[in-house]
Amino acid sequence: MTNLKNRGLIFKFYSWLPLIILFISVMNEFDFNYLNLKYFSFNFPFILIFFFTLKDFKNFDYILVFLAGLINDTVVGLPLGISSLSYLLICLATSYFRNITIRPNSIKDWFYFLFIISLINSINYSILTLFFSLELILMNYIVNTFFTFLFYIIFVSIFKYYLKVLND
Amino acid sequence: MASSRDDFIIAIRSAFLKKSTQQKFSLLTLVLVSIFVILLSSFDFRAVRIMKTGINEFVYRSSFVVSIPENFIKNTFINIAEYTTFYNNYKKNKDELDELRSRNISSEITQYENKELKELINDYVSSSDKILAKIIVDRDSPFLKSIIINKGSKDKIKIGTNIYDQSYLVGRVIEVNYKTSRVLLLSDLNSNVPVTIAPQNIQAIITGQGDDFGQIKYIKEGLSDELTEESIVYTSGTGAIFKSGIPIGKLKINEEDMDKKMYVEFYSDFSQLKYVFAEVLSKTEVKNSGNISENDNENKNPIDAKLRILEDEIKIIEDSNAKFKQENERLKSEINNLNNEIFKSQTQITSQRDTIKQFNLDKEELKFLRLNLVHGHKCRKTFLNSKGFIVGTSDYKKCVLNKE
Repeated sequence: MTNLKNRGLIFKFYSWLPLIILFISVMNEFDFNYLNLKYFSFNFPFILIFFFTLKDFKNFDYILVFLAGLINDTVVGLPLGISSLSYLLICLATSYFRNITIRPNSIKDWFYFLFIISLINSINYSILTLFFSLELILMNYIVNTFFTFLFYIIFVSIFKYYLKVLND
Repeated sequence: MASSRDDFIIAIRSAFLKKSTQQKFSLLTLVLVSIFVILLSSFDFRAVRIMKTGINEFVYRSSFVVSIPENFIKNTFINIAEYTTFYNNYKKNKDELDELRSRNISSEITQYENKELKELINDYVSSSDKILAKIIVDRDSPFLKSIIINKGSKDKIKIGTNIYDQSYLVGRVIEVNYKTSRVLLLSDLNSNVPVTIAPQNIQAIITGQGDDFGQIKYIKEGLSDELTEESIVYTSGTGAIFKSGIPIGKLKINEEDMDKKMYVEFYSDFSQLKYVFAEVLSKTEVKNSGNISENDNENKNPIDAKLRILEDEIKIIEDSNAKFKQENERLKSEINNLNNEIFKSQTQITSQRDTIKQFNLDKEELKFLRLNLVHGHKCRKTFLNSKGFIVGTSDYKKCVLNKE
């Protein structure tokens, strides 16, 4: 990877890759919904934001996360600011978790992630139903949370490999 | 205890306020901005609306570009799935097409009548243009079912514009930008459509379920027993949100554990939409002739309209008659052809019968000759056999044949 660092432009692209993927995923809603599996969906941005903010990744600027949230709201058709708030709450939770953790543990992170996304989805659901009077299926949120939790461990192994390559 | 609480407060304060070297804003600031944006979006300020329209235009176009690779994979997947059921679908469609063609004439008459009667009631002609729109963003979100089309206020799209897939209703416009619009699909939980269920002529409201079915709701008690499977559901036009008479789907009844649930299977598959039609309505006042007094107009217009209906009906009936005449001519010529074939067949049968007859005669003659060789001397009239017959007579032949 020393070669990669020498090649300035490629290294820059590589180090910005998580943010590029975040923006592509919010514009693209990367979630395999066209497979038409009943209730199946997962929230890829949650996994990405949680992991990289937990690792305090240098290029993961909060203002860009905020913008990604605004874009997600526009694409999905939610009231502006909902996803931004969700993403920033994840950042807040990871920041807190980072501060109180002395010895990081993947399994602890994983279950902390479940707790955080459950909480954020609950807040999301409450705001949309109470303040915006939208009718939503709670089961969709529960299944979405569950699959996001399951997929976390898969994506984390990919992200860890990415960080390893970047740091080498 | 106090120290752990202090630790918690320090950690929280640090999480909220501490900015690392790369961060330009603290999390607290951004969270507050988010809440402010949510509050703003809940109020319908003009400035916010314009800003939102600008963001929408930019994001929808960007999303369309970014989605190209995923859409390619998605379409390939759908195409492969379609090819596997291609032949069965073709056969089904062919049958449906034949049936629909036969219904076409009566449908035309009804349409003419409908148009003319609406003209009489409303005193204006509602002409509609269906414009083709491409779906640029089709995010089948598990939470909200909506699509983005590439037509907006520039193309006279308004909030509430009905959106069709062929002639089937798929939804209505809920957000209009300059060149794009968001369409809320019928499958969305927030979609409520007043409908009529035919042939029972029962009024109801269908609500989206988040999947390919809509649920029948708000039906008058007792009327649900009259409904039967496969009844047709179309818009009733109540509330003037949707135009009346637009087909939506077929009724499906699900009876489980004494709980009767009625669903509507949508004619259109919302996951397969690529292009849709947006119906742009324009109203034109019915112009009355200036020379005739108002009372005369009141009296004359309905009569004129009725006459026009009758004229149209006559025209359609004449067209139908011409078609029937053509059909009759064709049938007559077919009958003639068939008669000729029958005549040919009868001639053939007669000749075959003759052949069979000849064959039977030959067979009898052969039998006689064979018996004659064996028993001929017993029947022949000779000096010793005076009871015999002269050779060649019919009595002789009978005698020989009787000897078998």
